[in-house]
Order: sequence, then C-alpha cells, then structure tokens
Amino acid sequence: MSTQLVQAVWGGILFGSVYGLMALGLTLVWGAVRLLNLAHGAIFVVGSYVAYFFVSRLNLPILVALPIGVLAAAAFAYLMHLTFIRPVIGKPGFDNSTLIATVGISIAVSAAAILIFNPEYKVIPPVITGNFTVSDVQITKQGLLVIGTSLALFGLVYLFLTYTRQGMAIRAVSQQQEAASLMSIPVVRTYGMVIAISGALAGLAGVLLSPFFFLNPNSGFNPMIQALIVTIFGGLGSVRGALVAGFVLGIFESFVEVYYGVAWAQPGVFLLIILMLILRPNGLFGIGEVRRL
Amino acid sequence: MLEVRGLVAGYGGGEVLHGIDLFVNEGEGVIVLGPNGHGKTTLLRAITGLLPPRAGQVLLDGKDITHWKAEAIAAAGVIHIPQGDLLFAEMTVTENLLMGAYHGPTWSERNARLGRVYELFPWLKERGGQLARTLSGGERRMLALGRGLMSKARLLLIDEPSLGLAPIITQQIYASIHKVKQGGMSLLIADENANHVAGLADRVYLLETGSLVREGPADELLRDKALLESYLG
Repeated sequence: MSTQLVQAVWGGILFGSVYGLMALGLTLVWGAVRLLNLAHGAIFVVGSYVAYFFVSRLNLPILVALPIGVLAAAAFAYLMHLTFIRPVIGKPGFDNSTLIATVGISIAVSAAAILIFNPEYKVIPPVITGNFTVSDVQITKQGLLVIGTSLALFGLVYLFLTYTRQGMAIRAVSQQQEAASLMSIPVVRTYGMVIAISGALAGLAGVLLSPFFFLNPNSGFNPMIQALIVTIFGGLGSVRGALVAGFVLGIFESFVEVYYGVAWAQPGVFLLIILMLILRPNGLFGIGEVRRL
Repeated sequence: MLEVRGLVAGYGGGEVLHGIDLFVNEGEGVIVLGPNGHGKTTLLRAITGLLPPRAGQVLLDGKDITHWKAEAIAAAGVIHIPQGDLLFAEMTVTENLLMGAYHGPTWSERNARLGRVYELFPWLKERGGQLARTLSGGERRMLALGRGLMSKARLLLIDEPSLGLAPIITQQIYASIHKVKQGGMSLLIADENANHVAGLADRVYLLETGSLVREGPADELLRDKALLESYLG
C-alpha cells in the first residue's frame, strides 16, 4: 500500500473518532435539552487542565489524572447547568440566553486558564506510549486508544439510552417533555444528568487528545467547531449521525489533506457540508423537530 | 380523595376556569361533561400541575398539592392521560409502557405490571416492538391508557377517551376503562358524550364556559335527556 493511502486512512479514522467523541456530547445535549452548548470546548479544556495539574504539579500517573479530569469536566458542566441553564428552562428567550451564557463561559474559562497557568502550550503524557509503522506511517498506540475509546463510548451511550431506565427517561424527555413529567420523570434533573454526561465525554476527549494537539487555553475551540460541523452534518440530536458523520468527515478531510494539501482540508469540508445541507437540510440522519434521540 | 376548591386557571390574558369546586371519592367514577372548548382539558391540566392554577386549591387526601410539580403529583398516584395521547413517538410500545412505570418500582415489578397491561390490551403485546408513531389512532389511545396504568395510579384522569376514534374502537376503549374501574380505580373523566360514559359514571358534573353548572348522581342526570341536550347540543 502506498504511504499516502495509509496516511490518509489512519489520519481519517483518528480524526473521525475524535470528532465523533466531541460530537457525541454536543448531540446528546442538543437532542435532550435543545441546548446548543458553545461551552463544550471550554469543558474539554477544564478536563484537560485538571488532568495536567495532577500530572505535572502533583506527579500523579496519567491513569489517575485521567478519571479526575473527566470527573472535573462533568462537575463543571453540571455547575454550568445549575447556574446558567436551569434558571431559564421553559422561559422565553432560553435559546438566546443560553447561547450567550455558554459563549461567556468559554471566554471565562480560557481567561482563567491563562491566569492560573499561563498561555504556553502544555504537554499531557499519553496514556500508552509507543508506536509502530505501517508503510512508513507512524501509528501511535495512543491513537489506537482514542479510536477504541470513542467507539466504545458510542456503544455505551447507545446501550445506556436503549436499555436503562435513566437512558429511556432521557429519550422520553427529549421526545415528549409534558408526557414525561406526567410519568413523574424529573425533567430538569434529567437535563442536568445529560449535561454532566456530555461534560464527562468532553473532558475525556480533552485528556486523550492533548498528547496530539498540546494543551493551551483555547485548545478546545477547534475540536468544538469540528464537532459542531459533525453534529450538523449527521443531524442535530442524532447519536448514530454523530458517529457516521464523524468518520465520514474525518476520512474525507484526511484524504483531501493528504492528496490536495492542508490548505484544502477546511474548504473541502465546508463544501461537503454545504452540498449535504442542500440535499438533506436535516443532516445525514435527518431528525426533524419531532424525531429526536 | 381528590378535592378541588375554587380553581381558577387560564392561558395568557384569558381566564378559562372561573372557580371550580369538585371532588372524587375513593373508587368513584366521576365524569365532567361539557362541550368542546368549555375548559375540560384546562381543568385536568390545572389539577395535575401542567398548568399552574391562578387561584383555588387542589387537595389529595386533604393534603394541598395545588403548587406541586406535575412530576410530584404523578408520583403521588394521580395519573393524567392527556388529550392527544402525547406518546413518546420514537420509542417502542414496550418502552412507552415502561416509562409509565418510571417512578419507584424495580424491574421485576415493572415487568409484572407490563404483563397486567398486556392482559388488558393484548393488542399492545403484538405491537410491542413497534415505534409508537407507527400506530393507528385506536392503538395509540390504548397505549396511552396502558402507559397510565403502568404507574401506581390511585386516581386516573382521562381526557376524552374517545376523541377522534371510530365507534367500534370507542366501545373497546370504554370497555377497558370499565374493567379498570371494577378493579377499584378512582376515575375522573372529561367527556362530551353522555352515552359513552353511562356505565362508568357514579356522579356527573356539567361544565359550561368554565363553570360547573350542575352536579348530581349519574343515573339521575344522565337520564335527563332534555337537560343534557340543552347543555351538550
């Protein structure tokens, strides 16, 4: 196999799983809460910095710091729910005020990261080190871990939503909120749970990705934008859509990059999105207003 | 068990209910009869917390539940089967039913209740794996009823059980509600057709433009054709 092809496929699958992992959290929150969480990248950063702190300042192994970072991200997301989301649920202006609030949180988080740490790039060690080569392309074990984790989490989230009482309740709330409350499902608490889960996913993505992209106060921004694109491409609110779209876009971007150069990668992706939205305005797995999660 | 005192409710600037007083005793079948647009749905929504009342009180076993959340009222056993069924469209029939038993029980208890509901509506069992949005109108109504019965209901509030259904299915629906009542369930049914509810009703209220204008035992009121005709047309 040619080096170029292997490079394109490997990069595509790796990017795809990363995009998917970020998009999964976004799409869950959109599907259940109808919240476009523009703080998703900030939550990613919170998880990463907390893990970084435990690794570099307290010298804990990354395997200990990882779950702490994930929990911190979940806690931060839940705190955001309590302070900025919950007070406006069901009130007019929910969309605008939560959009502004989540953008504000993003700015505050990156400013806080600069103040507490500094604007320099930080390194989080990979969970597993080592690599091997296939046709001159370096395959890192951490990359394989990211792909495996992403796929496993999609599987877990699917099983959770399909077979558990809480997971079913999330779908119920997202499909018919009034009926859900008549079934005594605590709607607002369910929202909080979804936001916390989404936060944990973002935090995990942050800790696992920082060995590739390095960590800085704004390093959550790009993954979030990519995830937003994936989410729109796959159909806002669709878990399956996030998975498929993550890989489609990741592989597409990687092939464009390898064969036509980095400069074409982003324009190529946007062109694909525009075509897609012309053909299927609701995205790949077009979940309209009524059909969700 | 349920008592409503001076209930006032409405939407936006408009007032729909102008001070409703009613009660339902344990095991009783109470019907609120009234033409469309006179406040039946609003009444049920105000009782079960979907529409916060503006004034008045809702008491359950003497306890004031007026300002409880819908979730809490449902958890207390007051189960509202709403107009339009409000099914979880992208969930299967079985999943919809399981959501009815969200509060409280263990999985074994939930499955036992599932068995009982399937006994009452064998039709639903055959459709178990089908998505709710693919059901016909009659099946949807059965599912909505079944979902309500999955809870630990003490009092069922049913909003127009026959709305939009073919006569033969209407009969089946009322027959199954009858079975539920024979099992000792208390009922508060909003309806616009006196004939449908004749077998279920112990007591009847007549609702007109947001006020209860008559109250009495069913066998007395429902027999008074002239009175019913003047109210229901």
